[in-house]
Amino acid sequence: MFENLKRPVVASLTLFALAALPAGAQQLPKPGQLALETAREYREQARYPESSHVLKVGEADPIRAKRTPTKQSRRGPDGTGPELAVWASAVSVEVGKPIDLFAEVASGGQPVLPLEMTAEIAGPAGEIVAQVPYHDDGRTPDRRAGDGVWSARFSMPAGLDPEGAAPYMVRATARLLDGDVRQAAGGFLYSNPSAHLTGRYRDAVRNGNLVISAEVEVKEAGRFHLAGTLYSLAGDPIGTAQAAANLEPGRRWIQLSFYGLMFHDRKVAGPYRLGTLALATSSRMPNALNDLVENAYVTKGYKLGVMTALPFAEPKLLESASRLEAEAMRSQVAQ
Amino acid sequence: MSGRRLVVSCLLAVALLAVAGQAGAQPCLIFVHGKQTNTDTFTNYTAARNYWVNGSHDFIRTATKSFATSYYVVGYNGTRPYWESQAAGEVANEIVNATNGGADAGGHRCATTYAQGGTFWVIAHSMGGAVMDYILGNNDASDPNFNSNGPYDQVAQRLSMVITTGGAHRGSQGADAVCLQGNPLCSFIAIFIQSCDDATYWLRSSDDVQVRTYANAPAKTIYLTGGYEAIFGSSACLNGEDDGVVQYASIFACNGSATASYDNTNVCRNNAKQESSGFRNLDAAHENHSDERDDSDSDTRKQVPDGIWTCSGVPCAANTTVQSSMTTARFISILY
Repeated sequence: MFENLKRPVVASLTLFALAALPAGAQQLPKPGQLALETAREYREQARYPESSHVLKVGEADPIRAKRTPTKQSRRGPDGTGPELAVWASAVSVEVGKPIDLFAEVASGGQPVLPLEMTAEIAGPAGEIVAQVPYHDDGRTPDRRAGDGVWSARFSMPAGLDPEGAAPYMVRATARLLDGDVRQAAGGFLYSNPSAHLTGRYRDAVRNGNLVISAEVEVKEAGRFHLAGTLYSLAGDPIGTAQAAANLEPGRRWIQLSFYGLMFHDRKVAGPYRLGTLALATSSRMPNALNDLVENAYVTKGYKLGVMTALPFAEPKLLESASRLEAEAMRSQVAQ
Repeated sequence: MSGRRLVVSCLLAVALLAVAGQAGAQPCLIFVHGKQTNTDTFTNYTAARNYWVNGSHDFIRTATKSFATSYYVVGYNGTRPYWESQAAGEVANEIVNATNGGADAGGHRCATTYAQGGTFWVIAHSMGGAVMDYILGNNDASDPNFNSNGPYDQVAQRLSMVITTGGAHRGSQGADAVCLQGNPLCSFIAIFIQSCDDATYWLRSSDDVQVRTYANAPAKTIYLTGGYEAIFGSSACLNGEDDGVVQYASIFACNGSATASYDNTNVCRNNAKQESSGFRNLDAAHENHSDERDDSDSDTRKQVPDGIWTCSGVPCAANTTVQSSMTTARFISILY
């Protein structure tokens, strides 16, 4: 059984040759093809540790993407327009800070002006903690009067600071001029993180990897997760790194290790800019998310030669790849 | 023993070995069900097993090629949020049990253990997709919720891949509708989801409850297929193509808005997923949310962008009809 595991390359070549045979129209996937493609992907992924990855040229910053709020939209009865879309200014807001809420009604991409826009803010147990009126009059946070984007600035009532974080639902209602009603549900996370970044950073190369340390002020012991995206000074995202640690109260350091191979793959020497940095308290679900920090730090200059050019060879992925290649071989032989 | 009897005995032995070896040579399929309105699948094996059955139609029988491939049926509490111990934690523990050769509650076990070199595919439906996203996205010590309530690291190490059918990776607009309490519109979705219970609350489409907010890219690839057969009434309240309960943006784990409209021609490609890696399109079927997991509707299959089907040796164009009659269970059975 394990002989095949020792000959993954031979197995792969054999099966790739089989897969390359002339095909008819609308060909069924060959047995083993999926296993083989998956194995190939795992071998590629294994070049990096799971905690740090290179980003392809043009690939968006994944940490920023996860912290970018999205719209939630709903059409009217029977799937007919116009459609109400709601969104917030952030995925998460820290206790004591306001969050801006937005809504718009549109039909065929054109704004439809409602008569009134309001929302209920509902807690995790369904309790209504506030009624919020929206406006479209150009007053902060509304960007422009009459543009169809209705806005509201909302601060959570006192006494609702969560232990960790709590999701709040925004149930928005638009009353249209013709008397029709549209409803949509959005939301935001109300976070009470147990640590904050102090703004102190330092960097060094260790074992061929760029290690950026970030200082955090911990007010309550817990588990903390830090993720960052490194950019070139030209503004291109290069790669990400993440780390998690259990920390006691006080000033502590969390280290992000950016795997050195990414600088060779992207052919970028230092200095580098820590473009986005996301801290979270992950002692419990839901995690308490700190506000995203942008342009946190610029490293010293580094030559490419000090960074490792060796693939990481993540053993778990390579093991999976070998097993899948053997499975693919058996599937092909069984046909 | 005469020469003739020896030959017959040898042939018989070879045949027996071939049959016995078939289950071991193929991946063990581990089935993870979706959202439930009660705890039956968690407490009662028959309920968990019947999740995949509709009358004489049996998804597991078809996917396993009439049980030629070994399988294991997971039962978890589908009324709890995807991340809780009775959801993700239970699923993780059961998957590890399966890979150790342990039996499910119905006595079925994988033919070859992980230690013996076995491979394991998870087949997950609906909320099972979000559960697997959470487990595989929190398998490393550097992940935010590493092993938070189960052996996620062992699951990630031992699984070869996951296939989701109608996966609620980005939640469901049906959950939004149900949780808009007092709203008469779209309330017929409640037929499928019933109430805004804790599991439903965490399957809404807003960012604060999305699994991607609390997990990283999956450690093992999650392959995506799902249905585009509308359910009268409920589909009108879902944006773009849908299976009557989950919209394409979620079935295909798209980045951006979970309520964006997609169809077979333009659903997000492999480079536009909710994570920067780990999600891959397979195809789409003219099945609704129930058909996707009960093998009852052998119908048209369509190519989607970056899908698996090839036409004359190259990837078929999106929305090409690639099969006129094939269930998702049958489709899975031809992949191994």
